[in-house]
Order: sequence, then structure tokens, then C-alpha cells
Amino acid sequence: MTPSLPDILVGNFMCMADPGPPEQQGEFMAGKVGLVALLSLLAAQEAERGVAARVEENALIREALAEAAVDYKLDVGSLPFTDEVTVSALDRVNAALRTALIGLHEAVEGRQDTARHHAMLRLYARMADLRRLDLPPLPAR
Amino acid sequence: MSLAERLEAYLTRTWGQPVTVADLSRIPGGASRETYRFVANADGEARPLILRRDPPGSLIETDRSLEYLALESFCDRVPAPRPVAMDAEGAELERPFFIMERVEGGAVASPFTVMPYGAHARAIGESFFDILGGIASADPAGLPLAKAAELPAPEDCWRIAVDHWAAVIEADEQHPQPIVRAAIRALRRKPPPPPSAVRVVHGDYRGGNFLHAPDGAILAVLDWEMVHLGDPLEDLAWAIDPLWNPFDATTVSAMIPRDEALALWSKASGLSVDEDALTWWSLFAAVKGQAIWTSAAKEYRDGGFKEPILAVSGWYTARRHDEILAAALMRLEGLQ
Repeated sequence: MTPSLPDILVGNFMCMADPGPPEQQGEFMAGKVGLVALLSLLAAQEAERGVAARVEENALIREALAEAAVDYKLDVGSLPFTDEVTVSALDRVNAALRTALIGLHEAVEGRQDTARHHAMLRLYARMADLRRLDLPPLPAR
Repeated sequence: MSLAERLEAYLTRTWGQPVTVADLSRIPGGASRETYRFVANADGEARPLILRRDPPGSLIETDRSLEYLALESFCDRVPAPRPVAMDAEGAELERPFFIMERVEGGAVASPFTVMPYGAHARAIGESFFDILGGIASADPAGLPLAKAAELPAPEDCWRIAVDHWAAVIEADEQHPQPIVRAAIRALRRKPPPPPSAVRVVHGDYRGGNFLHAPDGAILAVLDWEMVHLGDPLEDLAWAIDPLWNPFDATTVSAMIPRDEALALWSKASGLSVDEDALTWWSLFAAVKGQAIWTSAAKEYRDGGFKEPILAVSGWYTARRHDEILAAALMRLEGLQ
């Protein structure tokens, strides 16, 4: 699991709260400040898009599992659901959905179900895009 | 006891003469080792050196003796620092470490910037792929590295590589990752042809892991901690992975066009590039990256969220490699 937005923001505090020994000042500290600045910028993107991305990904995976439920004998009804829109609640559901998705994809490949295999690859591309973080165009130093 | 005092105690003992340490300063980057520059003063001589010490939590678990032997193997063949001393037990420094000579006058450019090499991109690119080909041209049998590195059979290179990094994901994954798991299955379904020769694989040869001079000359290839013997295409695929070139689709490694890079590598290595094999190793490169970032995310949590380099690795680069993997899986099936 990539770090969540709360992990990142707590981390930005934790890594700056302790100044460290003298040999870790100067260039090393400057590098650390640069990383914290970059993380803060990426965190702004995640704050704007992260919850929506999780809601959509969960819906897309649930839809893919439901579509394959009859053919692959999946018990989609037993998968968890949440009305909460916190990152942690959505991630708990996401973990269960992704585990089911991995199992389905393995079964799809086992049956050489090409159409569904391709649909799952398209789903992966969409999932990756939803969680995309855009690197700022930093100039070289 | 400060780190400087510990270094002085170690060097005084091992060099058999009084040594003082000056200008000790940690260098940014280096998520798998703590890296420090310092000057060791002994017998009227000042030696500028680099200390690489294992951190409490690391991005990758690696064998520092292999890294040391790799430097010993290549410091006279390609631009690389000369190793000076190593202690796998840690001795006075408490954690395993090694010391190497410091290469002066160069800078490391971050691959995550726009035009990281500026006007020198072409010159650096030509040297970069020529040097990588030079590493791939060396017969491992005669190198110091051969004392410790396992020599795989050519037909086993791919499987050893996949097994290793798949196991890392299995061990460190804290959230299910369907994309990289699909990629691992795809790699196993259709293995690459064996390499024509098993060679030294640097393991992390890429933009950001070398020093270059203001005139564009490459002064030192760094970060040999993932060195091993295997299929040399592994290094080539890693070097040209899109992760290391976020802003310029016309080049690889933000240096030169792909076909030129491959031709330079092929000429310097004396090995041909099988495009099907390179496609396989390119997908593998993204799997390997995702495994490293998976470990970084775990270390970030386990270490109390204190190392921002692990956050960047476990977050931005992991998300980016999911994009790269998803696109590569689509291409394998001829999908847009």
C-alpha cells in the first residue's frame, strides 16, 4: 500500500521535528526540505482527488466482479461496503475488493478468457490513472 | 560517541596510526545506505572519502560485500569510486559499512527534473550507454566480484530475478496490488530467451546514480548495492524505464533517442539486443521497481514516517510504476 495522505502529512511533521545530529544539517537537511516540499505538493493533489479516486475505483472493481459473478461463481454480496468517505474506511473496502479482483484475474487467465482479460487490463489502466500523481516540472539544479 | 569519533576509532585501529576525521557531512539521497563525505587526516595526509553505512531501515536489503567487490572489479574499467575498507559487522560504527574514495568535482542530477542534463544531455547519454555496455562486456569470471556473486545458468536468469522480486512484494506488501501481480504472472507465462552470456548487472544503473562534471563528462557510476550476475538486458531495461524520464517522450533516460542508446550499448558490450527479450526485461524492470517501492512504503511506516525519501519512493514512484505496468500489459495484448 502506498502511504496514505495522513501518513505523508504526519511524516512531513515527524521528519522535520527532529533536527538530527550536526552531520545531518547543511546539504542533507536542504535535501530533506526539498523532499518535504515535493511531498506537500503531491499531497495537495491527493487531498483534492484521493477520496474520489478511491470511491470510483471501488465502484469499478465491484462492477467487474459483479459482471463475472455468475461465470466465475463469485459471492459478490459478501464483499464489504462502506458509506464512510474517509481514506481509511475506503482503503479497508478497497483491500477486500482488490483481493477478490486478483483472484478473479487469475481464474480468467486460467480459462484463457481473453475478452475478460482485456477488460481487466483496461480496468488496471483506469485504476492507475485515477491514482496518478503529477510531478511538478522542477528545473534541474 | 559521535559518528566522527566512531570513524576515527575505526580508522585509527585499522590503519595502525592516529587518524582524525574532519568535515563529516551526510549527503542527500541514498535511500538504501546512509552516505557521508568526510576527510581522514593521517600522517600529514588529508584523504577525501565517502562512508556508506547501512541505515536502521532500508529501501532494499542488499549485501554490502557485493557492492564493495563490484567497485573493486570496475574502478579501473569504468568511472567508479575506488573502495578503501569494509566491515560487514559494523565494528565501531555499529552497522555494516564500507568506505570508498571520494570523486571530486561532480554533481548528481535528479532524473525527476526537467532536462536534468541541460545542454550536455547528448554527451552524457553517449557516455552513459557506452559505460553500461562496458560493464556488460566484462567476463565476470576474472573479476573480484566472482568471489562472492552466484553465477546463474543463462536459462535461469529470468526466473531467479522474478522469484526474488516477487518474494519481496509477497513479504512487504501491505495492500493488495493487482496490477503488479498481473505483470508477474505475465512474466512467468512467457519467459525471455536466455542471454548469450551471463554478465555483471549493476542493478540500479539509471539517471540519478552517477556523478557528472560541469563539462558533461561522467566521473563516477554510483550505487552498486544491487549488483549481481545475470542477463545484461536487465540493466539496459532498467536504465531506459520511463520512470526515469518523466518529461521527455523523445529520449530515454532524458538523454538520447532509444535506438541510439541501444546501438551504443550493443557496440560497447559486443552483445546484440533481442527486442522481444528487452520487452520482457522492460516489464520486469517495472515489477522490480514496484517491489522496491513496496518495501519503501513498509519501511516508511515501520520507521515512524521519518525518512521523506522513503515516502517519495513508496508513493509517487509506486503510483507511476503502476501506470507504466498497466500500459505495458496493454501493449503486450495489442490494446490501446
